[in-house]
Amino acid sequence: MESTKFSLLTKEEVDRKWWEIGDFFRRNSLWMLMYCTGCCAIELPPAMTSAYDMERLGMGPMATPRQADVLLVTGYLSLKTLRRLIYTYEQMSEPKYVVGIGSCTINGGIYHDSHAVINQLDQYIPVDVYVAGCMPNTEAVMNGFVDLMRLIKSKKANGWKKYHKNNEWYKKNQIDSLGEVRVKDEFHD
Amino acid sequence: MIISILMGISVAFFGFVLQTSIAGVNRKIIGRVQKRYGPKWYQEFLDIFKLLSKRSVTHGWIFDFGVIMALGGIIATAMFMPITNDLMAFPGFDNFFIFVYLIAVGMLGMAMSASGSGNPLASIGVMRALTTMLAYEIPFMIIVLTIIKLTGHSSLSEIAMFQQTAVAGLEFSGTWFMIALPVGFAVAFLSLMGMLGKKPFETYIAPAEIASGPMVEYGGKQLGMLFIMHEITVFIEVSLFVHLFLGGAENIWIFLIKYFLVYTSVNLISNVNGRFKIDQVVVFFYKWPLLFAVMQAFVAIYLGWVI
Amino acid sequence: MNSMTNIKYVSSLVENRFKVIKKEIVSEYQISFEVDKDEVHRLLTLLKLEGWIQLSYLSAIDWINDNEYELVYIVMNWEKPVHVQIRTRISRENPSMDSILPIFPGCKYYEREVHEFFGVKFPGNPEYAKQLILEGWDDIPPLRKDFDPRAYSDAHFAKREYTETFVNLNNEKSKQVKREKRKERIIRVRKGGKK
Repeated sequence: MESTKFSLLTKEEVDRKWWEIGDFFRRNSLWMLMYCTGCCAIELPPAMTSAYDMERLGMGPMATPRQADVLLVTGYLSLKTLRRLIYTYEQMSEPKYVVGIGSCTINGGIYHDSHAVINQLDQYIPVDVYVAGCMPNTEAVMNGFVDLMRLIKSKKANGWKKYHKNNEWYKKNQIDSLGEVRVKDEFHD
Repeated sequence: MIISILMGISVAFFGFVLQTSIAGVNRKIIGRVQKRYGPKWYQEFLDIFKLLSKRSVTHGWIFDFGVIMALGGIIATAMFMPITNDLMAFPGFDNFFIFVYLIAVGMLGMAMSASGSGNPLASIGVMRALTTMLAYEIPFMIIVLTIIKLTGHSSLSEIAMFQQTAVAGLEFSGTWFMIALPVGFAVAFLSLMGMLGKKPFETYIAPAEIASGPMVEYGGKQLGMLFIMHEITVFIEVSLFVHLFLGGAENIWIFLIKYFLVYTSVNLISNVNGRFKIDQVVVFFYKWPLLFAVMQAFVAIYLGWVI
Repeated sequence: MNSMTNIKYVSSLVENRFKVIKKEIVSEYQISFEVDKDEVHRLLTLLKLEGWIQLSYLSAIDWINDNEYELVYIVMNWEKPVHVQIRTRISRENPSMDSILPIFPGCKYYEREVHEFFGVKFPGNPEYAKQLILEGWDDIPPLRKDFDPRAYSDAHFAKREYTETFVNLNNEKSKQVKREKRKERIIRVRKGGKK
């Protein structure tokens, strides 16, 4: 009689197991890159320090995009900032996740009719978790991070895969709104 | 021979596991000091394995090769480290100067790799690291040479044995150099903080200033390897300190306790301090620690005043 | 030194030598003069010689009904604490104002900014037309009153579409009653059980 318990795993199954192990490490040690563009950034100090203590979830701030896993976009994004944000996002090493904080990243918020502020972040880079509010409580921000961990566990936080798959669509949106993604100013010429 | 090499590698692995767990526990302690709950004690392991599980980019072969050279050099250094009096991979090869020379391989590998990334902040970080090294090495070396002069040995285990047992014919034997040379101990402790890159002398990491210095372009697997290298480096430096000043260890439990106490006290002091600027670091080390180190050496060697 | 004497000093200084169209004392630390376009340079030179050495700001206002721009130069004296605003009106058709670069070299960036947001030209400043803040702008200057930011935003940025069917749970009757009861209870507890 052939054993049903011990059968050789196929290559896909082995890959899946490894990926699950990696997901365990990744969701328990999320390093953030805080792109503090707007006012919602003020919610992060209480979340990091002794009031809410983000470090108990394994999260911590990181200095450069290469080291970070999560890109926090806190608040409105002007056209200039969006150019730099796309640079930053593309520099991060995969797997990478994006958390949009505040209503400005969802639909423009109070800047919805401004000439300089974009309205919808997920048109330009893929967003895994949104935290709504203007501005959201610190509890809501923490809840957003816990949601992100849950999404990683259930393999739904695959915005970075979407960015690969729909790259042309994202690039087209970026160029439609920005004209040109390349940064051109006095310091880059 | 093969047994020795395997043993050496297991010493390096032991150092990695020990330092990583103690660093995790220390993060928790610091969390409690700051009235936080703190991360899990195995958080450092999670961080390192997470980094190894990520995809990474390369900036040329020097960038990759330097990382491997750094990790290899540091593992090679750790292989010679005695843990207790008897537990060491290569008996008789635990001379202090072996560590001084071999640890430079790892450091230079990291410097090469960081410069190979082409990021200006990395070059600034490497330059600052070398400047800091110049600053703390001189007072530390003076104190260590004093110890070598007093004991007549430069082997770590011999120095540790000298401090553990009082021999009738030998002067100052039987006391730890922490007590015998109190001023020198203070100087060496400050140098240790510089070596570990702890807060007042953290100039070459400086995340808010030069975006974590040499590590600015690393991500994913390379950064994970650098983290492993960093943990083993800390293990080597703290163990050196334990053997030189705290009388080594008769058995492994004593080693663990001494190691934990030294690392935790460095961390606690570090976490209530701000950061010096790079010129302040150099001026600081060349002023008081150097003066006190020379004074201690003079008093201990020429006047023979040792407690 | 009393601050009102500073105001008196600067108004007598300016009014004796220049034709002031309109004077306004904003507060005891701030005074505003409106002068003719041609007199701005001489007035700023005089103020600089008298100690108003810092150009704090240069901005513009779009009076679209008068078909004029108003330029506002704010200068500051560190010895006598008075901000002086020099206002002048220029035409809205082909707006141009001679640069004050020889008097205040720091005006370089302010003039670039005004050119970028209002389209005022500053002959005399060699790089007034260089972009400063907006990168690759392709429309009329955005702070002019005839620029419609909403139309620009609608044309350039994707908007999130919402479906109109939603349920407003806040106005449900049962919850309203519950909430009022809870509020009453909170007030009762706060007053220590008394009504």
